[in-house]
Amino acid sequence: MEQLRICHLYPEVLNLYGDRGNIRCLQQRLLWRNIDCEITQVKIGDRTDLSAFDLFFIGGGQDFEQEVLLEDLKSGKAAEIRAAIEDGKTFLCICGGYQMLGHYYETYEGVKCEFLGAIDFYTVGGKIRMIDNYAFKLGEESGGSTVVGFENHSGRTYLGPGVKPLGTILKGYGNNGEDKTEGVRYKNVFGSYSHGPILPKNPELCDEILRSALERRYGRAQLMPLDDGFEKLAHDKVLERVLSDRNSGD
Amino acid sequence: MSTIRTIAAVAACKAARWTLRLLHRGGTALPGKVAMKFDPEVLRTVSRGMKILVVTGTNGKTTTCRMLEHALTRSGVRCLANKSGANLLSGVTAEFVCNADWLGRPKTEYAVVECDEGALRQVVPLLSPEVITVTNLFRDQLDRYGEVMHTLEAVRTGVKTVPETTLCLNADCSLTSSISLDVPNPVRYFGLDVPVGEQKETEISDARHCIRCGTAYEYKYYTYAHLGGFYCPKCGYSRLDADVAVTQISSLSAAGSQVRMRWPGGERDTSISLPAVFNIYNAAAAVCAFTAFAGQLREKYGTQLDPEIVFDALSDVESSFGRMENFDLDGVPVQMILVKNPAGCSQSISYLTQLNQDYTLAACLNDRTADGHDISWIWDADYEKLSEDPHLKQVLVCGDRAEDLQLRLKYAGIPEERIELVPDFASMLEKMRSSKRPVFAMPNYTSMLELRGLLSQATGKKAFWK
Repeated sequence: MEQLRICHLYPEVLNLYGDRGNIRCLQQRLLWRNIDCEITQVKIGDRTDLSAFDLFFIGGGQDFEQEVLLEDLKSGKAAEIRAAIEDGKTFLCICGGYQMLGHYYETYEGVKCEFLGAIDFYTVGGKIRMIDNYAFKLGEESGGSTVVGFENHSGRTYLGPGVKPLGTILKGYGNNGEDKTEGVRYKNVFGSYSHGPILPKNPELCDEILRSALERRYGRAQLMPLDDGFEKLAHDKVLERVLSDRNSGD
Repeated sequence: MSTIRTIAAVAACKAARWTLRLLHRGGTALPGKVAMKFDPEVLRTVSRGMKILVVTGTNGKTTTCRMLEHALTRSGVRCLANKSGANLLSGVTAEFVCNADWLGRPKTEYAVVECDEGALRQVVPLLSPEVITVTNLFRDQLDRYGEVMHTLEAVRTGVKTVPETTLCLNADCSLTSSISLDVPNPVRYFGLDVPVGEQKETEISDARHCIRCGTAYEYKYYTYAHLGGFYCPKCGYSRLDADVAVTQISSLSAAGSQVRMRWPGGERDTSISLPAVFNIYNAAAAVCAFTAFAGQLREKYGTQLDPEIVFDALSDVESSFGRMENFDLDGVPVQMILVKNPAGCSQSISYLTQLNQDYTLAACLNDRTADGHDISWIWDADYEKLSEDPHLKQVLVCGDRAEDLQLRLKYAGIPEERIELVPDFASMLEKMRSSKRPVFAMPNYTSMLELRGLLSQATGKKAFWK
């Protein structure tokens, strides 16, 4: 039986906006296909060998708690994460977890936090929060499907030259509200601002992520199609509303 | 002193409310907005001289207010309460203005005010209450405030505007009790001295790290969510002894709870007529607030109010709209449990799964402004527990985001064929009416208003603003 080893990084601090639903979704869609999956939570202070995992999930958190984990990153995990990314391991990183992969975060007040620098981008704090349901179209290398989600961030992320976004904004703000880019796609890293959580309503993206991890591990990936009726209903409802500028039931 | 502005504000507010009611609309905020156009601080005038208790916090505001209001009524005094749930500045203003005569003089001496956490800083400086109670702080409608730390700051800012007001804080909530760290106000604490539920760390915690030094908290015991006997192993910041504490929980059932409580008058048994653990917290909050209030009145005005009356009130307080409210829908018992955030939702699910009877669940989810556009919190609530409940026979889902809720339940492990997507609330009412078993309705805020409106019509209950 095939198996994926999933690492949920910093679940105790990066757990806002239902993002743990992503783990649930990855796990279920593997189990429904009879692929085994083992989930390990790696918390602040844990000294676990990160090279033993196939897939990493990093969620978003509160500003207050994000500071707590910067020190933990410095104590060795930063280098391990960078190595895993270069090694082609699959990552799903949301909001704060996504920002963390860049060079730095500069707050609106001008305080600069050094981040991992694993991918060439940076984030600056903005005055307004970019909040609401939104939609974007994935790049071809990520399957090209349409993703719906909920964004809530004041950080504006700017990708370096040649760095590919995860997708192109159809409606909403995305990385910075200016250049229509959303998230990042680098090797097998999928970074996004989308909460919601992102995966359950976007099963094609979830399968794309699983496929990349299975291919990296086994050299091939066969994903049996699933009945995505409920998934499609939830996806289409939000997409239709977002595209017609009705962002809530008001 | 009444000025022309006050008189104009009062007249405009009353006229607006009267017009809305004539149109059969429960206008709760608009009349207040109209009044504030004439006099932005009209609330200060129309509440002058009143003795006021304010309740804020994420969960339990409405029920705690109802307990306090009932205790005051049982003490034989008339009091004003913003029962309709309009808890922003405009809604509170409307309630007080309509309680005043045409010159802006209040008609009652007492008031129990539910106040939104974000609106506290606008409301309390105008009211100068005797007591502010903070029930708890959990992550709630995050798209409105950002994050739970922002909510905490908002509450602290509000408290700082009234440094003489006594605070009643939840001792078991590390976020709430931290409000005392840098405010001059006198503080009383309430809490549970004993564990309840499964004694394990919940996967989702809104306060895992010490608010003073960032070290992970440890717990002597848990009650629910991040509440319990927390302490920081590094800096020593910890739960403080509660002035009002539940020392023993003798029974928990659908009809209510029996507990033992330590309070400034000693230690005594008390029954609480509303079920579930969160109502034990609300009861402790009410005892703490009422005792502090009675003390303030005695000291400041020489008014005698017997604090022990609050216990009588707890034993027969009725649920407020949508919160554990019971209906008889042509023979089908319906209990409505409002859920607005993960902590409250998980606690409500725990309550359901503890009952030993087959039931239908009617889950509703809207995403209007009053609910928050962000519904991602449903993934943090413990719906998985429902999939292990053999008594859950059928799930009906309805609302603006019913499809999301349906998907959440699928991933929680509830078989798809047991879940039914209902297109609108009128159809939902019919489905509930034809249920072969009791129905538990679990709506969020605006879906509760809609469903409750239909239910009250069908069962002859009063509309919420009456």
